[in-house]
This record gives sequence, C-alpha cells and structure tokens, in this order.
Amino acid sequence: MAHRQILLANIKHQDQNTIAGYESRGGYQSIRKALAMDPLKVIEEVKTSGLRGRGGAGFPTGMKWSFVPRNTGKPVYLLNNTDESEPGTFKDRVLIEKDPHMCIEGMMIAAWALQSNWSAVYIRGEYAYPYTRINEAVNEAYAKGYLGENIFGSGFTLHMVVHRGAGAYICGEETALINSIEGKKGQPRLKPPFPAVVGLYGCPTVVNNTETLATLPWIIQNGGAEYAKIGTEKSPGTKLFSVSGHVNKPGVYEIEMGCSMKQFIENECGGIRGGKKGKAVIPGGSSVPVLRWDEIDNITMDYESIRAAGSMLGSGGFIVMDEDTDMVQAVMNLAHFYAHESCGQCTPCREGGHWIEKIFRRINSGKGLVGDMELVENLCSQIAGHTICPFGEALATPAISFMKKFPDEFKGLISDALVGISKKRVQMNFEGAGAH
Amino acid sequence: MAQQNGTPPEMINLIVDGKTISVPKGTNLIDAARVAGAEIPHYCYHKHLSVAGNCRMCQVQVKGRPKLEIGCNTLVTEGMEVSTHETSKDVADAQAATLEFILANHPLDCTVCDQAGHCKLQDYHYEYNARPSRFLEEKEHKVKAQPLGPTVILDGERCIMCTRCIRFCDEITKTSELGMLNRGDKSVISINQGRELNNALSGTVVDLCPVGALTHREWRFNTRIWFTKQTDSICPGCSTGCNVKVGVRTGEVVNVKARLNSSVNKEWLCDEGRYGFNRFLPTKRVTGVTIQGKEGTLDAAYAQLKNMSQGETVIFVGTDSTTEEFALLKKLVEGPFKNAHVVISYRERTLSKVEAILVSPDYAPNYKGAESVGVVSGNLQEAYERALSDTGLGKYKNILVLGDRGILPEDCSGSIVAAFGKTHFTAAVLTDAEHPLAGLAQVLIGGRSILERSGVLINRSGLAQYSDRVIDPPENTEPLWRVINGLHKVCGQVQISGVTDRDATSWLVGALAKLNGASIKVLKETGVVTA
Repeated sequence: MAHRQILLANIKHQDQNTIAGYESRGGYQSIRKALAMDPLKVIEEVKTSGLRGRGGAGFPTGMKWSFVPRNTGKPVYLLNNTDESEPGTFKDRVLIEKDPHMCIEGMMIAAWALQSNWSAVYIRGEYAYPYTRINEAVNEAYAKGYLGENIFGSGFTLHMVVHRGAGAYICGEETALINSIEGKKGQPRLKPPFPAVVGLYGCPTVVNNTETLATLPWIIQNGGAEYAKIGTEKSPGTKLFSVSGHVNKPGVYEIEMGCSMKQFIENECGGIRGGKKGKAVIPGGSSVPVLRWDEIDNITMDYESIRAAGSMLGSGGFIVMDEDTDMVQAVMNLAHFYAHESCGQCTPCREGGHWIEKIFRRINSGKGLVGDMELVENLCSQIAGHTICPFGEALATPAISFMKKFPDEFKGLISDALVGISKKRVQMNFEGAGAH
Repeated sequence: MAQQNGTPPEMINLIVDGKTISVPKGTNLIDAARVAGAEIPHYCYHKHLSVAGNCRMCQVQVKGRPKLEIGCNTLVTEGMEVSTHETSKDVADAQAATLEFILANHPLDCTVCDQAGHCKLQDYHYEYNARPSRFLEEKEHKVKAQPLGPTVILDGERCIMCTRCIRFCDEITKTSELGMLNRGDKSVISINQGRELNNALSGTVVDLCPVGALTHREWRFNTRIWFTKQTDSICPGCSTGCNVKVGVRTGEVVNVKARLNSSVNKEWLCDEGRYGFNRFLPTKRVTGVTIQGKEGTLDAAYAQLKNMSQGETVIFVGTDSTTEEFALLKKLVEGPFKNAHVVISYRERTLSKVEAILVSPDYAPNYKGAESVGVVSGNLQEAYERALSDTGLGKYKNILVLGDRGILPEDCSGSIVAAFGKTHFTAAVLTDAEHPLAGLAQVLIGGRSILERSGVLINRSGLAQYSDRVIDPPENTEPLWRVINGLHKVCGQVQISGVTDRDATSWLVGALAKLNGASIKVLKETGVVTA
C-alpha cells in the first residue's frame, strides 16, 4: 500500500533544505495564508485536524495551545522539541536535516496562533549535522526577512534561535528542556504550575515536537478537515516511524495511521533480516511495553490499537527483534540507558534505576537469585507514578514488560544459577559508554 | 496561624484521615496535616525555602486523583479528602519504598555518624519502613570528608540529595556556592568551580541537612548527641534574638543549632553567633568577692556599694544583661541611687550584605530590654561614648561596671584604666579574670555569663523571648540580678525574695505590663510582642 506522504514528500530533492528549493515546491505559502487568518481560527483549524502531539504522549495539539493564557502582558514562548534521545527514535532528525524550512514554517504558524514573538529550536547535542542544517535554514530565513520583524508585511514579529542541548535524554521532557534553555541543569520541574502558564523565564510556554510542528503547513494549506480524513478517526493523519533492529530495511517511514503492523514490517521494512522469525516489537520507542511477535498479528498502527494491545505508539521508535535476541541482555541494555540518564533529582528514579540495572546484570552474569524478578517488579511499581516526571514510568515499563512477556528467559538463568551450572555469560560492556 | 493585621485569611475546609479541619488558603498538605494532628514525613521540604519535591517522602493520597500527590507541592482545596500513611496502604507502601531507595546507596555508618540520634533517616526508617533492605548490590561510592569551606564539610555518601543546602545558598544568601554534579545515583552536592562556602550564614546548611552529610568542621566527631544536654535558648550575639538549641558537654558548648521560628530567624543562624558561643565562657573565672584585693563577703561588698548612692556615679551595664536586671536597675536609680547615670554599651557596626539578611548591626542582644523598662533612652551609642569620655576625664566619683561587656573590652583604653585608679570608688561584676578592669576595681564580684543565667531578652523588633540557661554556673558566682537585688536590700527595700532566675522572671512579668502576664512557657515557645 502506498502511503500518502505529507512530511517526507519532498525530502528526496537535494535542494529541499534551501529556501529556494523549499519555496519552489510551495513552501512558505501556508504561513502567508495563516497570517491572513485570525490566530484563534488557526487553533480551531488544528483542533479540527485532530492532530495529536508526536513526541510520545499523543496529546491533542490544538487543545494544548488553548491552555495558554492570553493577554497576560508576558511574552509567550514557542519551543520546538528536537531533543529526540530515546533509543530507537530518530524521525525528527530527517525533518530537521532534509526539510528544515518546513519545520520553521510550522513554528511560524504555531507562533502566530499563540501570538508568540519568541521561539527556539531545542536540538539534541549529538545532532551535529542536523544542527548545522537548521541553523543555516534559520539564518537564510532571517536574511530573506521571513523571520524577524514584520514578517510577510503582516506586522507580526517572530524571532527564532537554535539551542543545542548537551546530551541528556531528560532534556526532551518539556520542563527539563525549559531549564536547559535557561542555562540550568536539565532537571524536570514540579507540576503544577504547568509550562503553558509558567514556563520559560516564568512566562507562558508551549513545547511542541518537531514532527507536530512540521505537519502544520500542510494542515493550514489543505484544511484541518482534509487532514482528519487521513488515518483513523481517533488517530488522524500520517505518522513517522523510525524503524531499527533486525529488519532488512531500517529507516524512517511515513505511513497513514491505521495500517497493519505486520504488513508494515513486511512491506515497508522488508521483513525480518536473514529470513528469520520475529520475536518481539517495541512499537513506540524504548520506554513503551514490548510486544511479543504473536501479539502483533491484529494490531494496526494507530494510538488506540496499540494501546489496546497493551503498549503505546509513543514517539514512533519502532524496534524489531528477531528470534535470536537475548531478552535479558536487551532489557539490561535498556535498564543501563535509563539508569545512566536519570537526572538524579528525585529519589525513586535516582536510586531505583541503578538498582534495577544492577539486578539485571547480576541475573545475566549467572548470579540471579530466586525472588529477583519479584523484587524488580516491586521496585518498578514503586518507581512508576512516584516521580516528578514520567521518566519513572519510562524506566519501569520496559523492565516489567520484558519480564512479563519473556519470563522463561529470566527464570532459566536464575534456576541455572541455583544449581550452579550457569556458565559465565558474555557480558555486554557498557563501561565507558558516553552520554546518549 | 492567625494573621496579626489585615483581613483574616480565607479558610478552606478539608478532611485529613477522616478528620475535618479548616486551614488558611494557600496552606500545603504538610502544614495542613499538622493541624489535623497527622504527621507527613518529609526531607526536602522546608517552610522557608522553595518547594523542590524531590525526596518523595511526603506522598499522600488525594481522593479523586489517579496518582499519589506530594504534600509539599499540593495546596489545600475546598472539600479535599486526604489520606496519609495512617489510612492509606498505598501511601505507607510508597513511603517505605522511598526509604528503601534512599538507603540503598547510603553507607549506614550510623555508628560513626554525628547525626546518629537526631537523624531523620533513622527516625523515619524506624517509623515508616523498619524492614531490612533488599539491596544486595554494591553501593555507589562518592566523595568523603570534602571541605566545602572554612566551616562545613561534606560526606557525599550520606547525602540524600534533598538540595536544601543548595536552595539555601541560592534563595536566602543568594551567594550560590553550591550545586549538584552528575546524574542518577552518581549525583553529588558540590561546591561550584572556584568558590567556597564562606558566606556569613554558611553553618546554617548543616542545620538544614536532614542527615549527616554536612557537618561543622568545628564540632565534627566531638561527641554523640546523647551525651550532650540540649537546651532551647536564644543566641546572645546580637539583637536579632535567633532561636537556638545549644548542646553542652562537660561545661563546654559542643553544638549550636538554629530552631525554627518563622517570625525571628526562620531556621537560619549566622556563623559569628553559632561558632562564637564559647566566647561567653572565659577560661579563667572571677569567683567570690574581692574587696580592696582581699577576699570578702557579699554583704560587705553591698555595704561598700551602698556608698555609691552619694556623689557622681556612672553605671556601665552590659547589653547582654536580662530584662529582669534592667528592670531592677531602673528601680534602683529611681530610688536610692537617684544620683547615678546609667549607660549601656551599645555600638552599631556595619554588616555585609549576607549578614544583613539576619544579623542586627550591634552586639547588644538586650538593648531593647533596657529601653523597654526605661532605664536608658535616646541615642544609646552617643550616651555610651559620652560617658566613656567623661569617665576618662575623671568626671565621675564612682564607677560601677555591671558585666564583662559593661565597658566593651576594646574601649578599656589607657584613659579609662587611669580613671579607675583616680576615681574615688570603683566596683565591677565580671566573669573573666583576664578582663582589663578585673584587677582595678576596688570591689569585684564574680558574675555569671549570659549562658549561665536565664532571663527575658527583648529583640530588635520588640519580641520578648526567654533565654534559658544552657550551662551550669560555677560556684561562688552571682547572677547580676542578685547583685542588684542585694543593693536594693541593703538600701532597705526588698524587690525579689526568691533566689532562682525563675523567681526574677516571675517578678518581672508582674512588674512589666508589656509582658501581658505571660508565663515562662509562653515566653519560651512563642515570645511576647512588646513593641
């Protein structure tokens, strides 16, 4: 099935990253149209489209904007969250690298809707090349008068800066991102107050994912109703999936919501590598529950269907694992990532993350004890929901789901350890691994 | 929580553990629960610092909310139904788990930790968890015994990352010496690059530390808390009247901790006050009575002092005298000593920016008490300095110095010393045998320092508080009030018939209407506003 291409339609063009190339294919027309509309009408249009935030939570974008108080006398800040640091997620990179002006135009539309004069692109520190691309694009837009004062003769002012992170996963969390831009340590803030009311420098702030913002030019050009026709009723539109793991064709794919997951793996991703059988799929970035191969038969690629199957669509970081994958080592790897990235602010995540990693390492090294699995499960239940930010859930979810879905692999290692027949297993070496 | 002026606060009704209470709008659940008689345990929350919400100890269940909420960051709303660990198993489990997490990497070195015995980790563990840990892995190792500055030392492993110390330096002193390094369980409190923790209130971070991570360099490892006698008292350093808890062992101050008093010192204390407590305890003491270089009796001394009611007399009184003493003195100069001129050693000084947050620009803890009873008035510093120069010029026939700080040691210059030689009659009540005037006074009575006697001190803003005796006085010493009372007696009028400091306070409460007849308990707990 050929999927409609909204976001990736033009990335094949070599000059799409330049303002000339972007404009030759209809770029910067939507913002002209939006500037002629009432800002509230723009929000209405986005509400009509049913667009949901693409960063992971899937919160309706139009509704998020409507929480921003108007006429407070304070500036409103618009932040583009390009921090994507979750293992398996690399979709925004394509947009920022190949079609940066579409992201900028999307930000302009959002800024107009929110009446924000100040915006920033918060880009992940490791994205060195995409950073040069978006930076060039912003400079080009300034040079052409598309950014700055009185854009397109509308009297509207919009400034934009590109801010590089320093390589912390947690800075993708919106309040940690705000702290990071303020020059503070990237640690989430307590909510309430929510950033829509008290955000960057204490002013109303909206943080949107890059993919969400990049969708806006199309919605304004073609109308929210047109966008809502694509995909399913509750998950309208197209979605980028960044596919990694044991498939023949890993990469970023734009698909219409509601297509079959099995078919997606077979058609777009080219099936499992080496003709092997599949074992598991993580459908939405490493922090969502893993699904066994036999669970994905009837799943379609949209928010509701994946949720009904017990996982989440998340950010669209689609990780496929084949039959040879060692699930204990896989979850150990994830546990290491989350322990390493915990910001260290609140107790359960700071102490619990490393504790869980150490238990998984012990099990893997053949020193597991009876009760270890129950202990991890109990720790996870005391981390999830008890932390300042959703990192606690992100850490606990994979740990619990891997043990629940593949208990025999863990139990096997533990009972081998019990009778002393366990061979020292190959240790994955994470030591010296830098920030992710 | 009544407001002193303005409109009464809007009250919110809520239910805590089935008990209906009413608290002012804007109260958080930790404070509200206290009203209901329930304790919500917490580490990082401090009434006078911003809410950090990172310890996760104060979780509570709020009916209708999907997750547990933290009490520190949840404000009361009308009709809210709150369950603490008493009534919610989820809350009890979450708090037990939080403690297990906190203790996972904690070194559990209570046996050598100064905090043992007054440690929130110990207290809460016994109360809210009390299970052996399930943590079998190797603990993280962090910095040990890292000096943060001249006063404070850090043990990174004991730290629970509540960030109270960081927030104190950021928000109160605004000096921002401290920060948090690294992430996850490698997180550690650290001194910022090129800085040291040397602000005027630096020792306060040790008080704020709920565990044994921060300790005083001055007092580390000197005693276990249970070997000390702890007394709630008032710091006599300046006229702010900071509430303190003083630990004493074998006649020496071994620990001073600020006490929470929102209307005076919050829970802060300056280093000069804290580490200076032992300055009130001279090593060589004046004891007994010395008359003309020979040992004498109190009665003989009073008989001599009575002669001072004749001729030009100046009485220098230390500003660390209690209000009882000032009141007795007032009665004395109204009656038999009509000729006497009373001055107190009040002198202003300049404060640094950080000091000005808390410290008053003087070393005169009870100058306000002297003013309140009317024994002195007008420009105190000018009066004191004029009296000094008059004394130097030999204007006075009799000089009486009451207290070591009656004439400040730095003012005991050649002309004053010379005046002591020339003057007709000199007498002093002193504690320090090395005081410049100790060998000069014709009558010398061994006194007691402010740490060795109890009494009412009135601070700069007019709050009368009870300064409790923290150290037992040496033998053969007299509190100043008894000396003045003795003078009254020898002049034929008995003011106070009792002999204890408490008798003096009872007399004062009856004599000074401003104290509203308050009991010592009230004076001690909340104080009495006199201004």
